[in-house]
Amino acid sequence: MDILESIKMATTTLVANKLRSSLTMLGIIIGNASVIAMVGIGQGAQKLASEQFESLGPNVLFIIPGNQNAQRNRDVPKTLVLEDAEAIVRQVPSVGGVAPQIQTRQSVTYSNKNTNTQIMGVTPEFLPVRSFNVAKGRFFSNQDVKGNTQVAILGPDVVKKLFGNSNSIGERVRIKNISFLVIGVMESKGSFLGSNQDDTVYIPLTTAANRIIGRTSPYGLEVSFISVSAKDANSIGAAQFQISNLLRLRHKITTEDDFTVRTQKDVLTIVGTISGALTLMLAAIAGISLFVGGIGVMNIMLVSVTERTQEIGLRKAIGATQQDILIQFMIEAIILSAAGGILGTFIGVGGIMLVGAVTPLKAGISPVAIAIAVGVSGGIGLFFGVVPARRAAQLDPIVALRSA
Amino acid sequence: MQNQLSTASEALSTEFKPVIIRLENISKVYGIGETLVHAIRDASLTVEQGEYCSIMGASGSGKSSVMNIIGCLDRPTSGHYYLDRVDVSQLGDTELARIRNIKLGFVFQQFHLLAQLSAVENVMLPMVYAGVKPGERRDRAVEALTKVGLANRLNNKPNQLSGGQQQRVAIARAIVNRPVLLLADEPTGALDSKTTQEVMDIFTELNESGITIVMVTHEADVARQTRRIVWFRDGEVLHSHLKPEDINQLAVS
Repeated sequence: MDILESIKMATTTLVANKLRSSLTMLGIIIGNASVIAMVGIGQGAQKLASEQFESLGPNVLFIIPGNQNAQRNRDVPKTLVLEDAEAIVRQVPSVGGVAPQIQTRQSVTYSNKNTNTQIMGVTPEFLPVRSFNVAKGRFFSNQDVKGNTQVAILGPDVVKKLFGNSNSIGERVRIKNISFLVIGVMESKGSFLGSNQDDTVYIPLTTAANRIIGRTSPYGLEVSFISVSAKDANSIGAAQFQISNLLRLRHKITTEDDFTVRTQKDVLTIVGTISGALTLMLAAIAGISLFVGGIGVMNIMLVSVTERTQEIGLRKAIGATQQDILIQFMIEAIILSAAGGILGTFIGVGGIMLVGAVTPLKAGISPVAIAIAVGVSGGIGLFFGVVPARRAAQLDPIVALRSA
Repeated sequence: MQNQLSTASEALSTEFKPVIIRLENISKVYGIGETLVHAIRDASLTVEQGEYCSIMGASGSGKSSVMNIIGCLDRPTSGHYYLDRVDVSQLGDTELARIRNIKLGFVFQQFHLLAQLSAVENVMLPMVYAGVKPGERRDRAVEALTKVGLANRLNNKPNQLSGGQQQRVAIARAIVNRPVLLLADEPTGALDSKTTQEVMDIFTELNESGITIVMVTHEADVARQTRRIVWFRDGEVLHSHLKPEDINQLAVS
């Protein structure tokens, strides 16, 4: 008997028990759909995070206060200061631009409207280093930074909230009761790791430190973060090394660093590791439900063998070999799980597309994941079909025919 | 040796016909140790082509065990069984399945039709296992169903057929692979007297067309319609060539 006959025979039986077949498949459908959706969403999250870090600009390094590699979680001494950034510009040859920044959240007011937003104190270097652009008006100059001027560049979302469609440039907004002249509007950049970069007001670093946040560090003008761009892709390693050495000298470090220099690659690796682990965990949870679905298939096949004992006896009496019976039951199990797998794939892909449509998470539909999921569910049928099929094949036809 | 001589003399006493079943000193023992059960003790039996033979005996007489061996569903513990001149007594499961498929046709008390298949699909089933070409299957199944008078019930499911009709489908299924031997195990056990007669008429017709039939039954009325009765008692062949009219005396004794 060839395999096509077996498939036809198995299909006839499965179609004859529609409700049972579809309920059995449901377990596999859910398992498969969740594996595909979870892997897709996990990969989407990974891609999104990676893209956001890549959008920070090429050849970027980040200097973060505190030792990120330290095991203990201590209070970070406020040792990363504006003077460090200036020293890097002067003394590190492999560096192209240095953009220190300090940030806080404050309420910004225009006439009777106000919005709570992120206030970033930066220098003009911020634009080239982080690949930001001004859409309208101008950014402030180094002169403004030196002179503590009260000018502000607004993110597009802040403009929308405070000014609606009317012109904002030349108007005055108030932050902490200090008046700022709006001189420009930034281009839209979207969100970064969940924080909206368009909902930000940019003011000169010195103004932010002196008027808004206040000088809180005994070491100088404290900064929250320094972005550095290396001269080119080849000098990233050199820049990381030189900046670390310079800062160790400046901070008189003998033991553990009180800062961390991360390259974009480092960050991407960390993001990749975290989101990869997350994806794996999601896939593992979904995999469990696929496994449970497989057990459901085995369960139903075992019931089916018991129920169809007489049929098996009859088939053997009229000439079916053990192998014929084995193949018939195996194929039934495989069809159940493979069909469930394919249906589950469609549902999983549908779920991914739905997530992609309503969230910024552009989850990837990977053909490899689909091939694996369908293959695995077929394999589950094979694996969980063996026990019932062997039991059926080994039935003694005399006993099977007599059972009533 | 002696036994071989006696079977040979039996063959000589009638006109020569090919031997379909030849059981030689067959024994069947179930269980081990102290629970040993001798279901068949040294039984020998010959059935020639074209015979219409019923096996009778009280329950526990070994008639079912011998039926299982004749039907290649079971192997004898000792002795030889030649089916259509081939020794099948110690063949493997796969070879036996093949022999059941092409040389034997089975009719059971409980019909054993597959509920999800139509009459014609049920009859086609043995041909699926025999590897008959799909185009040929339906033609042969229709032919077999016509022979049992069900040409107008081809696409009915078993639950749309009466008991007698179901058994006729089962008979069509048993003859569709043109077996050398048709075996029936209490074929009328689940039928009322009217349908019993219908089914017996079909068996008679089939036998008249040349098919060899062996039937196990405990109903004297059924056995009387066959042409030879083999009587089993305590696992042994008590009478091998009773005539239908002898049965009354036997039933009394």
